[in-house]
Amino acid sequence: MAEAAVGPDRPTLYEQRLQTLSRVLTTRARIAQTPRQMVWALNKARLFRYIPVVPAGQRHRIPLLLIFAIMNRPSILDLRPGHSFVEHMVQCGYDVYLLDWGVPGIEDQELKFDDYTLEYLPRAIRKMKAVSGVEEFSLLGWCIGAILTTIYAAMRPDDGLRNLLLLTAPLDFSNRQGLTFARWTDSRYFPLEKVLAAFGNMPGEMIDYGAKMLKPVENFVGNYARLWDIIDDPRAVEAWHAMNTWVTDCIPMAGAAYRQLIDDFYRHDRLMRGELVIRGQRVDLSRVRANLFTMIAEGDHITPPCQSVSIMDKVSSRDKELFRIPGGHIGIMAGSAAHKLTWPHIEKWLGTRSE
Amino acid sequence: MNDGPGGSAKPFDPFEPYRGMRDASLDAVARVMVDAVNSEGYAQASGAMLDACLTASTPFREALGRSMVHALEQLSLPSRQEVASLAARFTNLEMRLDDMDAKLDAVFAAQQKAAATAASPAEAPNPAPPAPAAGKRTRPAGAEAGLPGKRGMRGSKR
Repeated sequence: MAEAAVGPDRPTLYEQRLQTLSRVLTTRARIAQTPRQMVWALNKARLFRYIPVVPAGQRHRIPLLLIFAIMNRPSILDLRPGHSFVEHMVQCGYDVYLLDWGVPGIEDQELKFDDYTLEYLPRAIRKMKAVSGVEEFSLLGWCIGAILTTIYAAMRPDDGLRNLLLLTAPLDFSNRQGLTFARWTDSRYFPLEKVLAAFGNMPGEMIDYGAKMLKPVENFVGNYARLWDIIDDPRAVEAWHAMNTWVTDCIPMAGAAYRQLIDDFYRHDRLMRGELVIRGQRVDLSRVRANLFTMIAEGDHITPPCQSVSIMDKVSSRDKELFRIPGGHIGIMAGSAAHKLTWPHIEKWLGTRSE
Repeated sequence: MNDGPGGSAKPFDPFEPYRGMRDASLDAVARVMVDAVNSEGYAQASGAMLDACLTASTPFREALGRSMVHALEQLSLPSRQEVASLAARFTNLEMRLDDMDAKLDAVFAAQQKAAATAASPAEAPNPAPPAPAAGKRTRPAGAEAGLPGKRGMRGSKR
């Protein structure tokens, strides 16, 4: 109100700012808009095929399946028109599929990594092969999706997997001093069984709170200070709005899978030590033979770089590349520089291996 | 921070001089906080708080659950667990359907292969379609339009 006396423009400007602020904080941006069609469904999981825009003869032969984490929406891969990894890959001539794990209900609390990797993923891949008419395929796993795809690649090396792309893959949990999550979920402090007994599934809000508490000031204060700084720039505000829409869309994680994540991975590092057992079978990373591309975000505080390096020495793949890139866990794929840095590099690596 | 058009067109912002100070102080607090949450003390304290909350709420939650089950029973309505159990059975059913779908796909693929093999000598006078070259692919009917196949899609009715 005090600004009214300064000049006629001032109230309008601040009104506009407040309106913008109110809009982006109370509404959801339209995200995940690349045209797609559901081609398979099982329980909450959905397999989508993105409608190709490149003529069939000019497309890459090998289809690409995107796998994201089980506790976040995969819409981050298709954030907004003009700034979407999916859209980029479709325009580059890939036959792109996305497996959306959906939101687990209370009836899914017993779902484990075993089910995701050996029940859902192989079925979705079978359907993708049937739809695309190609026996070989590429898998891109991001975050927990990278754990799932790695396990799958080790358990089913003869299923036609040609290229395996791992983005910010939390696979190695041996460096406990470098992992804040490992410290928080230590068996001496974190009442894992009590949490799961109380909630069944791990609530999305608790997962989100944990992720934000890794950098509390940035996430709880700095993020909104930045919004205020860019409030007069409509393009920057829309980008912020889209990202905020995705960040605040929390989904729970199936209870049994969360138990595995904490106990098998964070507490005992069973995958890297070769002790992880999935459906009674030990996961042997040396059975991974697919071409391997691992991307590490140098500034990743959720999956520190040390978690993604050792996989390179464990697999049998002859063609493998470790690529380091500046940026954070999500920023490398959805940040403002992603379309200049990350996506072209992925496309370049995959393009020569998709014919 | 601002990527948009700025410069002289940018309106006067009385908070501008404070922005640098704000950022500097936020950075300083952020560093302290990151160190704090990375400590054993924080892990221990947050774990203890969570444990205390869950321990305190458990009797109430259990009592509420029991009374809810009882009330639903009196109203002849299924409990949460019963609905969950039903949903799990539906999922099993879906898996069986998916198995059948896989078998049908295999049968159709075999049929198409057999038909193609049988047709190729008869079509000898006509030039045979070229084998799919690199960059091209064979696709089942409907695939090009993004369709799941001739037999439709189970999930589409959801």
